Amino acid sequence: MEEAKRDEEESKQQQIWSWGAGTEGQLGTGKLEDEYLPQLLHLPILSSTGRISTLACGGAHVIALTSGGRVFSWGRGTTGQLGHGEMLNSLHPKPVTSLQSYFITHVSAGWSHSGFVSDIGCLFTCGDGSFGQLGHGDYMAQSTPVKVNYFADKFVIQIACALRHSLVLLRGDQVYGFGSGKRGQLGISRDKIKSVNLPQVTCGLEDVEIVSINANGDHSAAISADGHLYTWGRGFTGASDANFPQLSLSSLRCTEAALGWNHILLLTGDGELFMFGGNYHGALCDLEKMSAVKHLSDSSGAVLNKVSGLDGVKVMKIAAGAEHSAIVTVDGAIKTWGWGEHGQLGLGNTDDQTIPQTVSLGPDIQNEEAFFNVYCGSGFTFAISPHEVLSTVEYRSQGSVEFVVRSQSSNSVTYSVEKPETTYSARMPNEKSQIYFNTETIL
Amino acid sequence: MSYDDVEIEDMEWNEELKAYTYPCPCGDLFQITKDDLRLGEEIARCPSCSLYITVIYNIEDFLGDNDKSKNKSLEPAKQQPISVA
Repeated sequence: MEEAKRDEEESKQQQIWSWGAGTEGQLGTGKLEDEYLPQLLHLPILSSTGRISTLACGGAHVIALTSGGRVFSWGRGTTGQLGHGEMLNSLHPKPVTSLQSYFITHVSAGWSHSGFVSDIGCLFTCGDGSFGQLGHGDYMAQSTPVKVNYFADKFVIQIACALRHSLVLLRGDQVYGFGSGKRGQLGISRDKIKSVNLPQVTCGLEDVEIVSINANGDHSAAISADGHLYTWGRGFTGASDANFPQLSLSSLRCTEAALGWNHILLLTGDGELFMFGGNYHGALCDLEKMSAVKHLSDSSGAVLNKVSGLDGVKVMKIAAGAEHSAIVTVDGAIKTWGWGEHGQLGLGNTDDQTIPQTVSLGPDIQNEEAFFNVYCGSGFTFAISPHEVLSTVEYRSQGSVEFVVRSQSSNSVTYSVEKPETTYSARMPNEKSQIYFNTETIL
Repeated sequence: MSYDDVEIEDMEWNEELKAYTYPCPCGDLFQITKDDLRLGEEIARCPSCSLYITVIYNIEDFLGDNDKSKNKSLEPAKQQPISVA
């Protein structure tokens, strides 16, 4: 057994690209313009602080979380969502200095608010609070992240910031909602709720082990440990709103979900990609052209479709903007489809696409070498090259915590640790590349 | 095609823009002014893209409202009764 180590050794500089709507500075290009093709960014402040482990993209702002637990943000800041202590846009990434004494492990960006979770389970929120979506018991905006005192004696794992509401996942599986509840997206009451400004428990998930939460638009979703998807809030494709979490498509086992304003992407453990909703705007995917291989439907009659045009190629990463989608396939290709008016598909034009199209990051980029990660804001898209080789990471708990990291060529390394850190890098025997993994996603 | 139907009470009054606004999926805001509403206009447009929404409202609520007395019921949901656990 080897000792787990932080990713001290980094052979190559991490690269970041952005494209799509850019008029609030959200692309990090230093310009206030839309970009129709991926732009390779030069962000010295980020490259000097180490590897970016994740991005959170909101309505028109971006939050970057580094592997060292630091947070940077840029884009629209007019309601304080950047956490810089001012209500101003920022063209370039700036550190969220008030969080510097914390090790941040999870971030989320909503339409105009932001959430940050620390390694000791503290939750901080900032930005627009008009609907109570910050959870501070008022309707005030905050320009600096403020600790959500309601969770002072609880351990927060994740926050999902949406259009006007937020969901929080606690250790111990409990899900909370706050903010606007008009479409049922808080899941806290049978009665119609306008808004709440303090967290309340989402009903109906008490006996379910929830491992991840998702929210965008007026939608809410959670995935259980056994791969079941629960959705509540605004109905997809004209279906009625749900005031409580509903078990959707119980025959499907999914590992990841990505929500748009009118669609949801679902990824199975086998790398199969499904979508439902999405014909609302008429552009996301042509339902008639979808593969007829798998049509699943749930009790509300919503039809789930396997996304076509992938020819059986497995999907590794998924992301959803308001009205567009981006994925990374197992062969390293980035593909996009949906609404394209602002160039958010990165295909060099403003056309909509109904079938996934391959995005080119540039002639020198060898997609096979690196597995990219993609992130979508409302009308824009980011790709980063973490130089990780995707793998499976198993988690076993037998006294101490043990991880088994397995690469695609089935090499494996086992780590046994006393107390899990957030991020590890692993080097496979007989393989060049390193594997980065985040224990947060598997614990 | 209208992107969505939105009730006026779900729109937010933006003092800077002097317009009722609602988030547009492009990142900008759908906007409609009180003058538009008084004229019976029901389309709120986004200045940045081709999308628009249909605003659901009662025109009587705006006739005779000359900005001197802001109709409370039409103000955004900022000071709504709070239901707290």
